[in-house]
Amino acid sequence: MAATTESVKADAAEAPLLNVKNLVLGSLLYIIFYGWVRWYEGVYGWSAGLDSFAPEFETYWMNFLYIEFVLEVSTAGILWGYLWKSRDRKVLSITPREELRRHFTHWTWLVCYAWAIYYGASYFTEQDGTWHQTIVRDTDFTPSHIIEFYLSYPIYIITGGAAFLYAKTRLPAYQKGLPLQYLVSVVGPFMILPNVGLNEWGHTFWFMEELFVAPLHYGFVFFGWAALGVLGVVNIEVASISKLLKKDLA
Amino acid sequence: MSASQSAVRSRAEAVKVSRTFDWLILFTLFFVVLGGYHIHYMLTGGDWDFWTDWKDRRLWVTVAPIVSITFPAAVQACLWWRYRLPFGAVVCILGLLLGEWINRYLNFWGWTYFPVNFCFPSNLMPGAIVLDAVLLLTGSMTVTAVIGGMAWGLLFYPGNWPIIAPLHVPVEYNGMMMTLADLQGYHYVRTGTPEYIRMVEKGTLRTFGKDVAPVSAFFSAFVSILIYFLWHFFGQWFASTKFVEAA
Repeated sequence: MAATTESVKADAAEAPLLNVKNLVLGSLLYIIFYGWVRWYEGVYGWSAGLDSFAPEFETYWMNFLYIEFVLEVSTAGILWGYLWKSRDRKVLSITPREELRRHFTHWTWLVCYAWAIYYGASYFTEQDGTWHQTIVRDTDFTPSHIIEFYLSYPIYIITGGAAFLYAKTRLPAYQKGLPLQYLVSVVGPFMILPNVGLNEWGHTFWFMEELFVAPLHYGFVFFGWAALGVLGVVNIEVASISKLLKKDLA
Repeated sequence: MSASQSAVRSRAEAVKVSRTFDWLILFTLFFVVLGGYHIHYMLTGGDWDFWTDWKDRRLWVTVAPIVSITFPAAVQACLWWRYRLPFGAVVCILGLLLGEWINRYLNFWGWTYFPVNFCFPSNLMPGAIVLDAVLLLTGSMTVTAVIGGMAWGLLFYPGNWPIIAPLHVPVEYNGMMMTLADLQGYHYVRTGTPEYIRMVEKGTLRTFGKDVAPVSAFFSAFVSILIYFLWHFFGQWFASTKFVEAA
């Protein structure tokens, strides 16, 4: 009886396997932040974003760009640095229940990565299409690019890097080496950002009008395929979780 | 190993944990595939998909199925061959269509004021259902590639016909004959998209008259079969679980 009471007390004190609050807060962070960004675009895209030589463009768009550069580099440094610095040096000796809890935390990161990829690769990228097929560009740093290339892409890179680092530093399933498909699913979309260099070079060199299917854009396509690496991540996770769930259940 | 070392404490908890992971995995898979598939599709077939005056009888019918069978083939290669889940193609298309519809409404209409009946996305769902059904019924990648891939290409135009037909009605405007979709393009000016880059109804095939769309669909179906094979193997590679040694 005493042992049972102790066990119940231990259960009550134990952290939940899935921290639902973190999952919801993480998701809301992306949804609310990008909702605000979309509002900003709607208001200041038309009123201050049409002429890059106008003073208001510097105020509302170039300053936005400078601020996001600073915040992104700081966030990446602090977040990735924290995840690496606080790594578990005895990761192979954790209990199965702790391992399961960490898989849930890992999936909280992956859900955030899913939000970040959606907004970056789908929402803001196709949005860029309608902006450039409507407004003639006179700069590389158009309002849609300042959001798409230099905000939404770094955010999914930071999130993907954090998910990868969490898995690598805290989960036994990832200690056999570097998981190739996980690397592809994080590094591939990351390469879309350097590919912006080719894109901008081409746009300043060849044409001012916009053909979305132009070969100049195929670099984005190639690296977008890397998102399919998530299939390999799912398979690693399913194998690990199945192994954990089948232990001593009888 | 003692029971206290188990990750879960009862079968009921194991089931609950398993179901929770199912939802987390499905959500993540859906939105990550949506992102990758959408950027691929918008940059390989996007212009034909964005605007009704690009949705012609030749290039739209040819290009859209060929470039869109890619991700469904890859995701099927994982979901069916590893988990026997027969909805890889439908999940991809649901994701793509969700991403496209949100964008066309909130951004094409909400930001740059193009009406939705000028910039709605193509319907890819009939082909996706058939692709999944063929795989489910035959369990064969080869048959799915040949029969499903062919159906993917052939069904695209009929699947979109009820939506696009009213906009292909001929009209006379300032002494010229054009379609209602062409007229939409003239009225809703895209300053970054001059008329000379609109790729529609090009080549001698249009002299075949009413046969243009079926011939284009048949060619598209042929290439879709080949692309299915290729992307099935891509999908197998992406779904593998290789580890490499750190340098």
